[in-house]
Amino acid sequence: MGLPGPFPVGRYARKLQEELRRRARVQLVGEVTGVSRSKVQAYFELRDPEGAVPCAIWLDDLEKAGLPEGGLRDGAEVVIAGGPDYYPGGGQASPSFAFRATHVRLAGEGDLLARLEALRKQLQGEGLFALQKQLRRPVLPKTIGVVTAEGGAARRDLLAGLERRGWAGTVVWGFAPVQDRRAAPAITGAIQDLAARPEVEAIVVTRGGGSLADLWAFCDETLCRTVAMLRVPVVAAVGHERDSTLIDDVAAVACSTPTHAAEAAVPLDCVGARAALGAHTASLGRAAGGAVRGRIPHLVALARGPARALRRERLGLNQKTREIRAASERGVAERLGFQRRLATVVLERARNRAAGPDMDRRRAALRRAEVALRAHQPERTLERGYALVEDGAGEPVTDAAAARAAAHVTLRFADGRVGAQIEEDDERDA
Amino acid sequence: MSETPDSYEAAVERLEQIIDRLDSGQAGLRETLELCSEGRELVTYCTAELDAVSEGLKELKLDELAAKLDASAA
Repeated sequence: MGLPGPFPVGRYARKLQEELRRRARVQLVGEVTGVSRSKVQAYFELRDPEGAVPCAIWLDDLEKAGLPEGGLRDGAEVVIAGGPDYYPGGGQASPSFAFRATHVRLAGEGDLLARLEALRKQLQGEGLFALQKQLRRPVLPKTIGVVTAEGGAARRDLLAGLERRGWAGTVVWGFAPVQDRRAAPAITGAIQDLAARPEVEAIVVTRGGGSLADLWAFCDETLCRTVAMLRVPVVAAVGHERDSTLIDDVAAVACSTPTHAAEAAVPLDCVGARAALGAHTASLGRAAGGAVRGRIPHLVALARGPARALRRERLGLNQKTREIRAASERGVAERLGFQRRLATVVLERARNRAAGPDMDRRRAALRRAEVALRAHQPERTLERGYALVEDGAGEPVTDAAAARAAAHVTLRFADGRVGAQIEEDDERDA
Repeated sequence: MSETPDSYEAAVERLEQIIDRLDSGQAGLRETLELCSEGRELVTYCTAELDAVSEGLKELKLDELAAKLDASAA
């Protein structure tokens, strides 16, 4: 085979023992399970969700540790100090491996908090805190599931809270131990069974207060992963306000008391909701009644509409008639006024023309013309002793030929007319 | 209301929308009467839901529930 040896197995076993005992001494923390005792030693396993180590402690060392009575028991969280050891066995005795604990103490709050913090970071990193918070929580579930201890005060407080809410639906109890190493698996199972029921609309997980060690079941990794993945909202109310368990982080809602958990599981205050519904009903009644009553005047007005429209039109027409008449009268008056104003202007201008500075000059010229005219009048000549010869038609006869032609003429003197016969007197002419 | 609401909260949300619309005074007569009718149906639904959780607390244990289901299945 090309490997060293073969060596006698007993020698190899002792060598293995030496090598393991040389390994560094450390402290381990975990949960104690499978405790048994011989005359000189106590045996147990120390485990957590990731693995386990078989342990042994001499009874002398265990006594020196000063644990309380029954301190080293199944489910106890302890811190041990020591290192790995190997018992090679013998002719009759079986070999065995164990972590040889030389010191042991109950895990303190700090130890648990450190483990809790590491687990919290891990689950948060995987996004498991957000899943439940995204679920819809019905405000008025008809059925809720509750995981708690059957005889615990939390049960009574939760019922009182539901009663105060005015809620009296159906509660399905998933009773489970809430404080020992059986607790986490039992609680996980009850939650899963409740979530499998379609009528269960929300699940409450609750227990009263205690030390972190007491509440440690609610920090169980499997339990918390189960809760995170459920499709039913989980309301966690574990411990008191100051206690912070891992289930608080993964649940849909974390409450400080079972009473608050009742309010979170049934968000609706049923008493208040009935009052609100009554108010809504009244509002609806008012709205419906008001919608009809409020429109009656309008409808009545609409019914009277035609008569009113006619009256309005008639009034309008009358008004327009009056306006037209008034406008017409106003037009006539305006035209009269205009003509009067025009006449006044014309007369004024005429008067001005007549009474102007040329008047005297014109009047003098007129008198001169009159005198000149009168000087040419035949009457003036007749007054001086001349006679005017006129024919039978009264036309002047101004030459001898016309007088011969006329034969009979009229001689017009200033004081009257005298007929005359034309006679030829050739001698005188000669 | 043509269909049953999904949940009590959905019914109340719609009911409050209706009341707001009616209070705004902007709904016409036909809309007002339709909203009032829908609102009354929602109130009836919500009242029935409240009645369903008001008839006295019923308590069951998980194993009893399982037995009941087995009996009904058989």
